[in-house]
Amino acid sequence: MRELDLYFGPQHLGMVGNFSITLTVEGDRIMRAAANPGYLHRGFEKLMELRSWIKDFPLVCRMNVVEPDSMEMIYAMGVEKLAGIEVPERAEFIRSIYLEMARVGSHLFGLWAYANMLGFDTVAQWAMYHRDLLLDRFEELTGGRVYHIYIWPGGVRRDFPEGFEERLVETLHAIGGCVPDYDAAFFNNPIFRERAKGVGTVTREDALAMGGTGQVMRATGMAYDIRKVDPYAAYDRVPWEVPTREDGDAYSRIQIVRDEMIESVHMIFNLLDAMPQGPVYERTPNPLKWRIPKGDAYVRCESSRGELGVYILSNGGESPHRVHFRTPSYPHGLTVLEKALVGESISDVGNIMISMYVVAPEIDR
Amino acid sequence: MSDSLRDRLEVVFKDISSEVDVDGRLTVHANPASVLSVLGFLKDDGYDYLVLVSCIDWIDEGALEVVYVLSRYLDPADTDGGRVPMLLKTRVPRESPVLASSIEIFPVAEPHEREIHELFGIRFYGHPRLTPLFLEREYEVPPFRKDFDTRQYVEEVFGNVPPVGEGTQAL
Repeated sequence: MRELDLYFGPQHLGMVGNFSITLTVEGDRIMRAAANPGYLHRGFEKLMELRSWIKDFPLVCRMNVVEPDSMEMIYAMGVEKLAGIEVPERAEFIRSIYLEMARVGSHLFGLWAYANMLGFDTVAQWAMYHRDLLLDRFEELTGGRVYHIYIWPGGVRRDFPEGFEERLVETLHAIGGCVPDYDAAFFNNPIFRERAKGVGTVTREDALAMGGTGQVMRATGMAYDIRKVDPYAAYDRVPWEVPTREDGDAYSRIQIVRDEMIESVHMIFNLLDAMPQGPVYERTPNPLKWRIPKGDAYVRCESSRGELGVYILSNGGESPHRVHFRTPSYPHGLTVLEKALVGESISDVGNIMISMYVVAPEIDR
Repeated sequence: MSDSLRDRLEVVFKDISSEVDVDGRLTVHANPASVLSVLGFLKDDGYDYLVLVSCIDWIDEGALEVVYVLSRYLDPADTDGGRVPMLLKTRVPRESPVLASSIEIFPVAEPHEREIHELFGIRFYGHPRLTPLFLEREYEVPPFRKDFDTRQYVEEVFGNVPPVGEGTQAL
């Protein structure tokens, strides 16, 4: 059969976000795939070199629309590392709680995209609704629904408002109470299992060679999670487990997403119980005249997609000399995806891509 | 862990220098010619995960610095140290910068090197597709270098676009 080049995206029903893949197909089979990012390249890293340390926050959170909170966290961690700032204990707990809320919200958004793409419209609507309940809590805590800029070098912007903890627990119970519904309609649904089982398999060897992290790695049975490997915030203060699966396919990756949401909710409950009283931020110099000592650092955290890191370099000035983000979608959407698509059918491209949780703005930055 | 690795590195490679910071992070400075052998050595030594390849423009010193961030894939059960990622740095001249590609050792370097080629202008020897990754056209000065003025570029390119309503015919 003759080989054809097929341009998949950026305007395609099976494609989420502005991203395109050039597929070389023979009939319905993909022989080769070449990812084409760049539709969302805004040059944020260059723009950050022109702004002061604090003014960079609105830029970093726009690198990942779905989960801006991890981006705030990683940038704040980098600045704290360079400036030698210690974060108060209560702020570490609040950060962990906030990041786990963000993880659940991001997973629900991902579940919406995935269920929607596979035609499970009802499940998609549930996921969007439940994410919205969480956005109400974010709004109450930070004033913003999507972009929050709540994490700050030295801590967080403000303490929990009066009665927030109870309302958060109530919201999480409202979402958690629907897990049996989600299981029946989606995760244990034979139609879904047929569609996702054995599709887009990434072996452990490939994941290791291609820079896989997050669900891509944990779906191959390896419990690699930065929250355990290199603990930050308050993740080493409470007990929790890293969910893993063995098969490495789309089905395993989405099952991990489900297990992680449940684990995150339990973790939030444990963190709320263990949370100490005290200040929530460490005083920092006047942000408009803040000079950060010379030096460089690589810091990392676990976003809902995998390892998120930043290499940050200061030459002692009022703005960074270089900031370079290592986002999990970068290897997942470029090297891992190109490899995983080979031999699959055209109808599974979106299936595989969303199961890897690829978000285009994170690749382009 | 880092100390003994540092000793081993300095025995094998004569032309490198290294330092360890307060957190135990190892930084190795190598010549462009020996980067590949150092990377191969580190991979065999357990740093099996190339996290990031970054580039910094030191315009005053006339050099571009390429930084390889290396880490280990650890299960949480492993407790033998080495949790802090390490850095390998090398410098190439800003004029006609060339460096050997590390794809053979770390396949994940492929998009990183494409990106650095496009944004900083370093040509990676042996890279199979140094085509643009993000940008749609070639620039005289690679846009992430310090002498590329973003503001001036924006004014030149977008400043001439007339505001909506002026110079456009009403439908």
